[in-house]
Amino acid sequence: MISFLIRRISILAPMALTISALIFFASRLSPIDPINAMVSPDQAADSANLNQLREELGLNDHIILQYFRWLKNIATGEFGYSLQSGQKISEILALRMPATLELVLSALVLSTILALTLGLFAGAKKGGFADKLSRVLAVIGIAMPDFFIGLALLNVFAYRVAWLPTGNRVAPGQVTFWDRLPNLILPVATLTISMLAVLIRYTRNSVLDTLNRDFVKTARSKGVPEWRVLYSHVFRNSLGPVMVLLAFRLPLLVGGSILVESVFQWPGIGSTIIAAVSASDYPVIMVVSMLIAMVILVASFLVDIIKSILDPRVRLEGGK
Amino acid sequence: MKKNNQEQQSTARIFISNLLHNPSAIIGLTIIAIMILSAIFATQIAGVSPDYIDPVNGRQGPGWHHLMGTDQLGRDMFSRILSGGRQSIYIGVIASFLANFIGTILGSTAGYLGGKIDAVVMRLSELVMTFPQLILVLIFVSLLGQGINNVIIVFALTGWMTTFRLVRGEFFSLREEAFVEADRSFGFSKPRIIFRHILPNTLSPIVVAFTINIAIFIIAEAGLSFLGLGVPVTTPTWGNLLTAAQNPVVVNEYWWLWVFPALSIATFVLGVNFVGDGLRDVLDPRHKSLIAKNKWKKMLIGSLGRSK
Repeated sequence: MISFLIRRISILAPMALTISALIFFASRLSPIDPINAMVSPDQAADSANLNQLREELGLNDHIILQYFRWLKNIATGEFGYSLQSGQKISEILALRMPATLELVLSALVLSTILALTLGLFAGAKKGGFADKLSRVLAVIGIAMPDFFIGLALLNVFAYRVAWLPTGNRVAPGQVTFWDRLPNLILPVATLTISMLAVLIRYTRNSVLDTLNRDFVKTARSKGVPEWRVLYSHVFRNSLGPVMVLLAFRLPLLVGGSILVESVFQWPGIGSTIIAAVSASDYPVIMVVSMLIAMVILVASFLVDIIKSILDPRVRLEGGK
Repeated sequence: MKKNNQEQQSTARIFISNLLHNPSAIIGLTIIAIMILSAIFATQIAGVSPDYIDPVNGRQGPGWHHLMGTDQLGRDMFSRILSGGRQSIYIGVIASFLANFIGTILGSTAGYLGGKIDAVVMRLSELVMTFPQLILVLIFVSLLGQGINNVIIVFALTGWMTTFRLVRGEFFSLREEAFVEADRSFGFSKPRIIFRHILPNTLSPIVVAFTINIAIFIIAEAGLSFLGLGVPVTTPTWGNLLTAAQNPVVVNEYWWLWVFPALSIATFVLGVNFVGDGLRDVLDPRHKSLIAKNKWKKMLIGSLGRSK
């Protein structure tokens, strides 16, 4: 197990380097002068000093040298400034990150609980109510763009019956949790529905697979009550593949809610990305994509570990 | 040689007849055919040009005169939605074709050669797959700029992984087959073995992936254009029509401006998925024994027999 872990970790480092290089050199293809990314706008306004600054900041150095300097800055938390607002990127992230985490984490937890329950019942009783419901949800999830679900919910619940606000996050602080909850409901519901579809089908198929295994027949023939068979034999054993899917969803925590954030004017990372892309704000794009890439690497590392726990044969793969 | 040709024809005929006897494929193909035809003849069907401006009748609800209402400039929504299908379907199909092309080339090469190349491409595909698709697309758009062709290129670059994995998997099992062994002993070159001899055997997953990718890309185009970062607004696509819903007033009061475009996306995507399901049934070796045909026949003849 330990040698397997070491092997996996040793893959992570070169991958992280490759990604950072890709991001850096790709952004240098753009026509924007990177000097603006490195100094605050007040300094950049003085054009006489600009060339001197350029020299001091090392922008006249070789590009490879610049890359390593950028890497060092990122590693030490010096993210630079946004071209748009002149704000420090680290401040923007600190402000926006909690909003996205709040939204996506709630949706992730909620959709997982719902999907596991529905998927278990759908698989246990093929053709039953849960199976039909899960089929309908799957069709919706596949055919409808997720922002359309959001718009429909918005139209009905925020405008027609006006039970809920139209989104617009209330920042934590003076208000209580209950004041903030209504604003969270619609965006979370939208995201949950769009995340549900795949997960339910996945759980259902996994449950169906497990139901055919020999130990289930054994348990039944021993006279174990059906709910126990389902819970402690089937459910637990069909969790494996589902866990893998969930770990692959971790990157959504950073960048998975762009459209939903846009529909509900949610001030999270998604809105930051949209604003940055439409304004060609490269420093922000670079930092955010770097952040997501890191989360992805961690997630895929987790997937490998989960797989190796579930199936020890994986550990031997590639270790000749 | 002649015999071989005949056999091929008959395989193709069996395939087509199977497909035409598969209910879900028929439904899907019908939906797609109708939508493509009505996209081509948008102006004729709706009776109004999608660009005809009539400000006096702006923002009218659906009615006899305008089946799906009019937008703020009085343009007929029915006509705009029909013709919006042109660009959306075009983007979906071309991008899916390109993505499949990339995926097939990489998948067959990596799958046949294995080893280091395979490991590198596999890691790359994992990476691209885990990146939230929209973010990746946005990063590319910020580098390449907007426009229909750029959107297509971006989708192709970010959507090749499904095909790649399917083709690679097929190659893994096929490269140990006897006919490949024979090819190798004849001394055929690697490209010839890969592309002339093994690749034709992997067509079915490629075809299925092609249909599914069309659906994914059409939805992705809608999302991208909804954010105002896809196809320039001057070209009507289903996604661009949805952009109207960025305005809360529209979401609240002028529901026909966003419900109908979204529904047409959903209908088309469902149609494509139906075809995909049908193709999977027909092409999957486990289903090859004319199951669909026999079932259909039994249903028809059985009911006819009883009525007699």
